[in-house]
Amino acid sequence: MIDIKDLKKDFGNLQVLKGIDLHIDKGERVVIIGPSGSGKSTLLRCMNMLEVPTGGKIIFEGTDLTDKKTDLDSVRCKMGMVFQQFNLFPHKTILENMTLAPLYHKMMSEADAKAKAMDLLTRIGLADKADVYPSTLSGGQKQRVAIVRALAMDPDVMLFDEPTSALDPEMVGEVLELIRELAKTGMTMAIVTHEMGFAKEVGTRVIFMDEGVIAEENEPKEFFENPQNPRLQDFLSKVL
Amino acid sequence: MFESLKQGFIKTFIRDNRYKVFLEGFKNTMIITIVAALIGVVLGVIVSFVHSLAENARDKHQDSFGAKCLMALDKLCSAYVAVVRGTPLAIQLMIMTFIVMSGFPNKVLVCCIAFGINSGAYVSEVIRGGIGSVDYGQTEAGRSLGLSQIGTLRLIVLPQAIKNILPALCNEAIAVLKETSIVGMVAVVDLTRAGDLVRSRTMSPYFTLISVAIVYFVLVFGLTKAVGRLERRLAQSDRH
Repeated sequence: MIDIKDLKKDFGNLQVLKGIDLHIDKGERVVIIGPSGSGKSTLLRCMNMLEVPTGGKIIFEGTDLTDKKTDLDSVRCKMGMVFQQFNLFPHKTILENMTLAPLYHKMMSEADAKAKAMDLLTRIGLADKADVYPSTLSGGQKQRVAIVRALAMDPDVMLFDEPTSALDPEMVGEVLELIRELAKTGMTMAIVTHEMGFAKEVGTRVIFMDEGVIAEENEPKEFFENPQNPRLQDFLSKVL
Repeated sequence: MFESLKQGFIKTFIRDNRYKVFLEGFKNTMIITIVAALIGVVLGVIVSFVHSLAENARDKHQDSFGAKCLMALDKLCSAYVAVVRGTPLAIQLMIMTFIVMSGFPNKVLVCCIAFGINSGAYVSEVIRGGIGSVDYGQTEAGRSLGLSQIGTLRLIVLPQAIKNILPALCNEAIAVLKETSIVGMVAVVDLTRAGDLVRSRTMSPYFTLISVAIVYFVLVFGLTKAVGRLERRLAQSDRH
């Protein structure tokens, strides 16, 4: 589904990604962990071209995203993204937040878009918040709305960029629970996170990034119980 | 005391139908202010949009022909802003009247254009600042939902930026109103010039100049109050 080949990204003189090869299959849930500054967020943000790579290729469903002729807007409709800072639109109600993009792309009628948004809000128990503005929601509620806002576009893959890092501790659970439920539906996901327990539980594969390269990747049980790379061993001993 | 005021009033406004000079001047002041403010807004919007699009193209390392044109256009716009901000308005007005549009019979229109061009540079900075005040995460969220760059600017960024832009824009219009008092330099009769003409005839500076000052003050004070009310209204929608 996503094929990343020799991906490189520089910020000025700083080389953040030094040649990443990664293949994500349909239905996989790839969790990316690593120390801060290791390039994990940059890797995720390159997947939908929010960061434009300096070199290499990203093939998504047969389309090369690094090709200048690619219509990124239509590609991004198929890739949901959830940000650390939620990024709900503060001048729009919750319902408007969710229907904005589907209506913009004329994917459905206004009535259908609203019905679909209400259905999603009901599923996360926030139907009563449809007509309020984001500023009245708690952090956990905001992030859950951000997740269903992305889902309203029927994406083929969901990208999570540290979805719980900006939350108060007591709100982390509700957001992880929603992602967990989403995992059960077989959604393809790439998740950057610091929640190791969650990584182990939800991921089908875990990747350790260090200094711009993938230092280790494995299925979760082996990854956490039998880490090979000394940097990973060191990292895990600090965070677990 | 009362009698001398009455005499002054008659001498300044009634005798020889002098009120007509004031009315003519007031009319020209208003025409130049309003037309120049409109030209300024149009120019400012164009310059700030070009800048915003060009900056994005630069960030994304786009090298298509369109992107190159955009960046060249942006350089031109920067030069325009620098020149306008770096030279006195009086000089700009005289250059416009005696060089660029020297053969043009309608001097009021020439003033409108000169002030409009001047104001456009300041308006562009106001809009640029307003756009810059919106968190970049909002742009990223919009783009990640497949909105085009223009679509994101129009639906996500500008509605939020307007809160900061609108009051500053009104203040710019107030500044233009006061600045129009120099058009007498190029022989256009505005309110100030009208006062000066009458003063030279009546030899009574107090009545004429203070009357003119009062008219400006009432206009500016009224507008400032209106802007204050607008600011409070816009701030209210923040809290919901």
